[in-house]
Amino acid sequence: MAIEDGSGIPFDAWRLVGGLEVALDVDVLFGAYPDRDGPPGAPEQVLRLLSGHRIRAAAVASLRAALFDVRSGNDELITRAAPEVAPAGTPAAEVAPGAAVDPEVVPVGVVDLRDPVGAARELERLAAEGVRAVRLFPDEQGVEAGFPSVRHVARRAARLGLVVLTGGDVRRFWQPFAGLGAEVVFLDTHFYHLGDFLVAAAEEPGFHTSTRLLNSPDALELAAAELGADRLLYGSRAPHYEPLVPLLRLATSGLKPEEIAAVAGGNAERLLRRPQS
Amino acid sequence: MIIDVHAHWGPWFFTMDVAEANLATMDRYGIDRAIVSATEAVIYDAAAGNRALASYLETQERLLGYVTVNPRRLREAEADLAAYLPGGRFVGVKIHTDYTGSPVGSAQLREALTLVAATGRPALVHTWGTSVLALAEVCADIPDLRVIAGHMGADGFRYAIEAANACDRLYLEPCWSHFPAGRIAEVVAAVDPGQLLFGTDATLIDPSSAFGAVAAAGLTGATAERIAWRNAAALFALDITA
Repeated sequence: MAIEDGSGIPFDAWRLVGGLEVALDVDVLFGAYPDRDGPPGAPEQVLRLLSGHRIRAAAVASLRAALFDVRSGNDELITRAAPEVAPAGTPAAEVAPGAAVDPEVVPVGVVDLRDPVGAARELERLAAEGVRAVRLFPDEQGVEAGFPSVRHVARRAARLGLVVLTGGDVRRFWQPFAGLGAEVVFLDTHFYHLGDFLVAAAEEPGFHTSTRLLNSPDALELAAAELGADRLLYGSRAPHYEPLVPLLRLATSGLKPEEIAAVAGGNAERLLRRPQS
Repeated sequence: MIIDVHAHWGPWFFTMDVAEANLATMDRYGIDRAIVSATEAVIYDAAAGNRALASYLETQERLLGYVTVNPRRLREAEADLAAYLPGGRFVGVKIHTDYTGSPVGSAQLREALTLVAATGRPALVHTWGTSVLALAEVCADIPDLRVIAGHMGADGFRYAIEAANACDRLYLEPCWSHFPAGRIAEVVAAVDPGQLLFGTDATLIDPSSAFGAVAAAGLTGATAERIAWRNAAALFALDITA
């Protein structure tokens, strides 16, 4: 039997994505990894990339802070963000150079788990500055889930009401956050480990996951059925991963339109931009 | 037109239920044909899985099959190659190096690929990291062998570029659950376009991963068509009317 070739562009992802937009991406980085060839991660380039993927706002963390100097990295990022979270004393003219940034930057603080004492101080400072979330880089910093620093930071963050965005293997990194009432987004949940996330999150209403690596044919649908779509958040890891892939996966998923909208930013807005009590 | 040269049929042991998902998954992404191996054959029992897949393929026009070979069971492999390849529903051979404990550099894999070369069919071999370089060496050593480096080395895609350039009978297909920025574009820029294929790893991985990564590379025209189906049609001698 002969196969008939159809016409058209074979890899037309945007036709499949349709009108889907992302209101708030939870996993974006400014800066570069020194052990990789690229991309450079310059803020302007990252924002252009997001804009090209219809990502309207992004929770951004600084690789400078994660890999070298927490304080200056966090401050660089905060000064790019909205005035209400700029450091006290920053002149208005220096806030968000380039004017109203589009997409909008929602600053995510970073702490260094290799320095738990300094990390606790930085959490206090970030919370006082109005930052709502902190991101952990255990893989990059060579820190394991069982290290005392992780539990220490988890407790402090929970006490301050900070949302934690964390990398690392969810099968291990769920544990330091258990029983704290913490709000956590696991950024590296792979579909191989979805079962472990589901059973851990069933007992922890504050546990959420990025959809980035939930790319088996039924992972999003299964997680939504087991826990509810309000536990799923679109995260791209732009510019180091292709933002198109999780966008495509979400757009072609079996989730209902209102669930897709929640995953594409509604849930992140609730977690990261709700009014502080 | 898209031909997926790296797909599966059957259940997986992770938290997922996709045993019957092939056609629905293909339809989502406009994949017309997929060449599948039986998960049972890849993971556990090659002969039993091949047998089950042979029956299933009788019911599915859009799926073609790989005969899975376990390099530790070469007598069994020889029998399966002889039984299934001539029928037309099986068009290639699948070898998973990890599940069978047969690294690319091992003697048993070399022997298995020698058997495959004699059939005239291409073999899809699981590669990761630097193993794709060893596959290029085997490819160069065995006359007439045509081999597809599955996952094109995954995180070892730069080694895959080197491998493809070292042996023009080595083809690359990109599927991986991760999708680092620029991976596809870098490979396409550095490898003969005649050696590039499209694969998804469905139903283990949703096609969005490979499809989106390839789409992000912005390929158009002849290159996109070659990757989408023309190279696969030629490699597997499929009857396609353009």
